[in-house]
Amino acid sequence: MALLSVKNLRVEIKTRAGVAPVIDDLSFDLEAGESLSFVGESGCGKSMTALALMGLLPEGVGSIAAGSITFDGEELTTASEARLREIRGNDISMIFQEPMTSLNPLFNIGEQIAEVLRAHQNLSRKAAWSQAIELLDAVRIPNAKARVNDYPFQMSGGQRQRVMIAIALACQPKILIADEPTTALDVTVQAQIFDLLQDMQRQTGSSIILITHDMGAVAEMAERMIVMYAGRKAELGPVEDVIAHPRHPYTAGLISCVPHILSTLTEEREELVEVPGIVPALQDFGKDTCLFASRCLQAQAQCLRARPPEIEFGPEHQSACWRAEEL
Amino acid sequence: MSSDILLNVEDLVVRFAVKRGRGFGKNAYLHAVDDVNFTVKRGETLAIVGESGSGKTTAALAVARLVNSYKGKVELNGTDLLTLGDEDLRQARAKVQFIFQDPYSSLNPRLRAGDIVREPMESLGSMTEVEKAERIDFLFEAVGLRPEQQRLFPHQFSGGQRQRIGIARALATQPDVIICDEPVSALDVAVQAQILNLLRKLQKDFGLTYLFISHDLGVVQHMCDSIAVMYMGKIVEYGPRLDIFNAPQHPYTRALLSAVPSVDKARRAQTKRILIPGDPPDPVNLPDGCRFANRCPAAQDICRRDEPELSNGVACHFPGAEL
Repeated sequence: MALLSVKNLRVEIKTRAGVAPVIDDLSFDLEAGESLSFVGESGCGKSMTALALMGLLPEGVGSIAAGSITFDGEELTTASEARLREIRGNDISMIFQEPMTSLNPLFNIGEQIAEVLRAHQNLSRKAAWSQAIELLDAVRIPNAKARVNDYPFQMSGGQRQRVMIAIALACQPKILIADEPTTALDVTVQAQIFDLLQDMQRQTGSSIILITHDMGAVAEMAERMIVMYAGRKAELGPVEDVIAHPRHPYTAGLISCVPHILSTLTEEREELVEVPGIVPALQDFGKDTCLFASRCLQAQAQCLRARPPEIEFGPEHQSACWRAEEL
Repeated sequence: MSSDILLNVEDLVVRFAVKRGRGFGKNAYLHAVDDVNFTVKRGETLAIVGESGSGKTTAALAVARLVNSYKGKVELNGTDLLTLGDEDLRQARAKVQFIFQDPYSSLNPRLRAGDIVREPMESLGSMTEVEKAERIDFLFEAVGLRPEQQRLFPHQFSGGQRQRIGIARALATQPDVIICDEPVSALDVAVQAQILNLLRKLQKDFGLTYLFISHDLGVVQHMCDSIAVMYMGKIVEYGPRLDIFNAPQHPYTRALLSAVPSVDKARRAQTKRILIPGDPPDPVNLPDGCRFANRCPAAQDICRRDEPELSNGVACHFPGAEL
């Protein structure tokens, strides 16, 4: 049985124009030890998916309208707030995009790591503190014993993200959700962080959900990927297969609109493939059409008439496009 | 000097006084740009790449005289921009224009799009009102906006459209050089392609010269003809596009290139990731010798003693060393 199983999830948020489904009929499974990646532009529901899994949807604005999230056999959509508190940070934990703003500036980093251990593992102050030092060492912060007393402002962006990783991994969670963990960082630091995450995964056997817009990062980090567009799953499949042969025009667009560094560069530089336009406005989410049709070069009359079904290509690869078979 | 060199920067130094003085009345200086030399040919693109804090943006700002330089020369068409004053400087500013990184904060929210594009012509040009209006129409079409959109305010545009307004504004005074400071890094990936294609099209149509600042090596590879790699205020490697990407010599350039995640399976298989541990040194108290030595996998004693000069396009004692 899958470690995490999401079935027909629908998340709605209230806007002035009415209720809009920011996640619309999303289903996927996550196996233990697997790394899965969510890709898409901003406003496509990637981060909302993460927040829904964590039970952290903005109160009064967003809510789960339908569907189920089963973690280790336990239903999370109906779980009590107290139970969710136990799970968060212990079994499922999250790294946020902005290492600059997600640490508390008023506490030293040792205290912030130890807090998680005291809350979830009932460790004593002393034991939690010494384990905090070990964790800092594990995320390769040099001279951990001295740095544990530092405040966030004394650290660089990469170091702060390492501290976030230490906090997230403190209780050896079964699932680690990383929401654009390296977007704010330089490439060489990004390489260090990816390296660290992969090592940690190997040691602890936890599953990783990586949310990103960078196809290169997906190719390096994940085994399977889900391409999200306007709150819907556009394509799901093994990373290698999807990159080699995308079955959805949006996936193909995301891959070819970015200038990649290839193994050997030549004088030739082709025009980048453009995905014209932008992601539709929230009030258009949930319509019974293909929401990508207005930006799609392959769109036909059928695409505007009804939402495309998910078409299977082999056991693991699905695409929600009327013309997927022709691509 | 051959005639097709449009922009020639020599021994440019930009330093900032920092409060951490040693003793009273003595200032310590942070050398954000330290002895930088480069040239840009007419109609070509030079990219300056580097990580945050490498001095690439400061170098660009200094070329446009938006920060004061301490020393050096910035020659545009043979005139040194750094010595100009008053009216001459105003005239020269029309020839060097800037596209900024963040299209959300670089447009005046109280001006209509048309007026934003008109502003540089008001303050730097000497056109009649009719000519200005014609030029605005022309520029809106060139960057792919509709004429009626001149009446709208910045908040009514998407990020990509705002960057198009920024590009139209930069083109308004018919500049010789356009400095693009991370023009797409604030945009969504699909929109990035639209802006990059537009910039290349405008370059072809109008024969523009770009100084392109970016940290994204994929974008740089696509846009530029030559590249200068900066680290801690110094250019560590400088050369034509194919040389830098296919046969990088400096260990930092190689680490930087190997760090870029790629969808190309062949590239992933053949590149060994070179991790550079640690952090860059304190820019106020720079170590002796090479600034990269403390993180360099090929560093030897001489690297910590003598600072390498830029020769044959690379500033390293052991270019191309086994890593």
